[in-house]
Amino acid sequence: MIELLPALAAALVLATLPLIAALLVRRIRVAYRERRRARLERRVEPLALRLVDGEDADPTAEPLGSGEGVALAEVLTRYAQVLNGTARARIAEFFERSGAVAEQERRLRSRRAWRRAIAAKTLGDMRSPAASGPLVSCLDDEDAAVRSTAARSLGNLGDLDAVEPLVNVLADGTAPHAVAGYALLELGSGAVPTLVGLLESEREEVRAVAVELIGRLGCARDAALLVECLDDDSAEVRARASRALGRLGAGPAVAKLRRALVEPVPFIRAAAAVGIGRAGDAESLDTLLEHARVDSFASARAAARAASEIAPQQVAEIGDADPSAAGPHLVEAADRIAWGLD
Amino acid sequence: MHAAVEILGLITISYFLALNGTYLVFTLLSWRDLSQHLRRRPFSAVDDALRSPFAPPISVLVPAYNEQTGIVESVRSLLALRYPQHEVVVVSDGSTDHTVVRLAEAYDLVPVRVAMRDAIAHQPVVQTWVSRSDPRLTVIEKRNGGKADALNCGICAARYPYVCSIDADTLIEEDALLRVAKPVLEDPDRVIATGGIVRIANGCRIERGQVTDVALPRSRLATLQVVEYFRAFLVGRVVWSRLRSLMIISGAFGLFKRSAVEAVGGYWTETVGEDAELVVRLHRHMRERGEDYRIEFVPDPVCWTEAPEDFRTLGRQRRRWQRGLGETLWRHRAVTAKPRYGALGMVAAPFFWLFELIGPMIEVLGYVGIPIAAALGILDVKFLIGFLVAAVALGMLLSIAALALEEISFRRHSRHREAARLLVYAIFDNLGYRQLTGLYRVAGMVDLCRRKSGWGDMRRRGIGRAAELEPVTERPVGGSVAVAE
Repeated sequence: MIELLPALAAALVLATLPLIAALLVRRIRVAYRERRRARLERRVEPLALRLVDGEDADPTAEPLGSGEGVALAEVLTRYAQVLNGTARARIAEFFERSGAVAEQERRLRSRRAWRRAIAAKTLGDMRSPAASGPLVSCLDDEDAAVRSTAARSLGNLGDLDAVEPLVNVLADGTAPHAVAGYALLELGSGAVPTLVGLLESEREEVRAVAVELIGRLGCARDAALLVECLDDDSAEVRARASRALGRLGAGPAVAKLRRALVEPVPFIRAAAAVGIGRAGDAESLDTLLEHARVDSFASARAAARAASEIAPQQVAEIGDADPSAAGPHLVEAADRIAWGLD
Repeated sequence: MHAAVEILGLITISYFLALNGTYLVFTLLSWRDLSQHLRRRPFSAVDDALRSPFAPPISVLVPAYNEQTGIVESVRSLLALRYPQHEVVVVSDGSTDHTVVRLAEAYDLVPVRVAMRDAIAHQPVVQTWVSRSDPRLTVIEKRNGGKADALNCGICAARYPYVCSIDADTLIEEDALLRVAKPVLEDPDRVIATGGIVRIANGCRIERGQVTDVALPRSRLATLQVVEYFRAFLVGRVVWSRLRSLMIISGAFGLFKRSAVEAVGGYWTETVGEDAELVVRLHRHMRERGEDYRIEFVPDPVCWTEAPEDFRTLGRQRRRWQRGLGETLWRHRAVTAKPRYGALGMVAAPFFWLFELIGPMIEVLGYVGIPIAAALGILDVKFLIGFLVAAVALGMLLSIAALALEEISFRRHSRHREAARLLVYAIFDNLGYRQLTGLYRVAGMVDLCRRKSGWGDMRRRGIGRAAELEPVTERPVGGSVAVAE
């Protein structure tokens, strides 16, 4: 073995020198590419602005130089993310006309997952409504990143036909909740009618997602639709309905929320407390105070907070009069009231 | 005698070949993983998650002991982190300076008796405060109990389902919290802990708690540590994470599912390696229950920390790390070589025992013994050559390869001159510095055997801190702020 080591030394030197050389070359190339890209973008920016302003329907009518087409696409993609209305529609139309959308749709069929994911992202950035159908198909992709990116892009496109497919991926857990949930929020209140229809789904996961999103996208008149959900068989649906009613206004649901306040499941009690607090239901105060003293941590905290919203003066007095009897959550609530916090 | 020395020489050379050969394999695996990670970055959807109200809220825990110099800026940068919903809980662990007073002045703290869980035992709380100017900030004053104890206290006060431990003197990049939480966003049911990369802030320009210009330290010692950190993080942790046996999430920046930490009883307070020990305990807990889980290293999100610039502080730090490693491995020796614990038991634990814990002693023996033996003619010179190749030359290649990984991945040191300087240091990293840290680690083993405890003092210049502190003015805020005279 010892005799082989000089040969190993020679091999190491031979391995190290090309590695250093490769790093040097790479560094130079990266720097050159970055400078070139910045230069090209500066050159095509006036073209992009003319397109966005509607002064020039087809800035590529005159042939673009090497790399300028790619630079123009990148600039327009950035603009598409911050613009709305006709400006964005012009950008989408440009990409459709130039064949860029079709090219990205073709790349959605690539064998490599990362290429499919990049294509899914690019389609979303281009904001072309024509891409909605292919992106919905990507929600079934075997790769998690492709599904996640497709969900995000569907949110960007604003196509309400994507509501039910997005709810399904959320219910199945096949795309990250933060990403797919946000995509649904991006679709706006126009998604509510579809979500209301999904309240009748046989799958409790779908109903739970629909309830949560109605709570975020809906308005006060949608609260009445969620009251029935407080009687759902699924604890998750009942909990989300309680929280959603807290956001929308629990007026019509107060009686049922009072029943939810004494549910055996702690997270339902906590959610119900939130709703009751926002509704300002004075009848529930005694129950809330009791829960704040003895319930499990999260439920007790929610109950104390709700009680503070309903009767701040009373909570402050209870917390100060006998802290050990009041319990830590009412004491904290009393201090917060005293200092005007929350 | 001659034969015995030759056998020792062979053992030492074999050790270095095995160690550096393993790291060579790790480097190749890491290259592949980092390339994949970078390819996926363009569609990582970070910006979307930033706006999403569905991102799980996080409690950022900051254990602080006598941090008056920089605590206000640290908290400012933590409150400014780009994340949909988070809170900051500073736990002053019996500070004897004006840590809490400075926070009280800067953030209009008022006394609020914050309700806390009793999930994990910790030293008694003296007082709790909430900021009126930013209610996301909670400050806890407690009796001194050490960093682990302070973290346990913070966990009990945390409102949210995830907790992120951050050292008071580290700087976190603006979107680092989101990046470190990305695995949780993608797989909330399985991911129970993630950690990010630690980089060295010495020499960087820092403005308002953010690194605005990355530069190498002027100090040679600190620059050597920059190279060392590339090897540790870009090679070591990437691969261990891939093998599902990541044993360390840096205490300077780690994200944990609160319920999982509570289930294992929180941080162990009897060790200086509380970060590694917690991670190993989490692994054990989940594997013993047959639960599907992941503990991940994310190479993107960065926290910046100050590296020692003098030998004394460096030595203390490395001795402490070695002690912590030894305490962790010993406490969890039952996982070693046990198939039940998968790659953690069969690969990671034996590796750390052999190469990280015991290995420094073999290394030091080799660095000292072989040249002396060759000079005295006890050992054939071919052993000396073999040793230099196995230990030094191969080590240089690995350092250069780690540098290459940084170059192809994040390339934070974009100036050509700095890249050249790093290359030179990567070459010389194995001519003195590595041997020195080996000595420190052996000393750490001695400390371990002598059951030494405590952290020791670290001399800090302070990264991005105000040169002069304004005098403390103790405003009455409705409660007493304890300051030791």
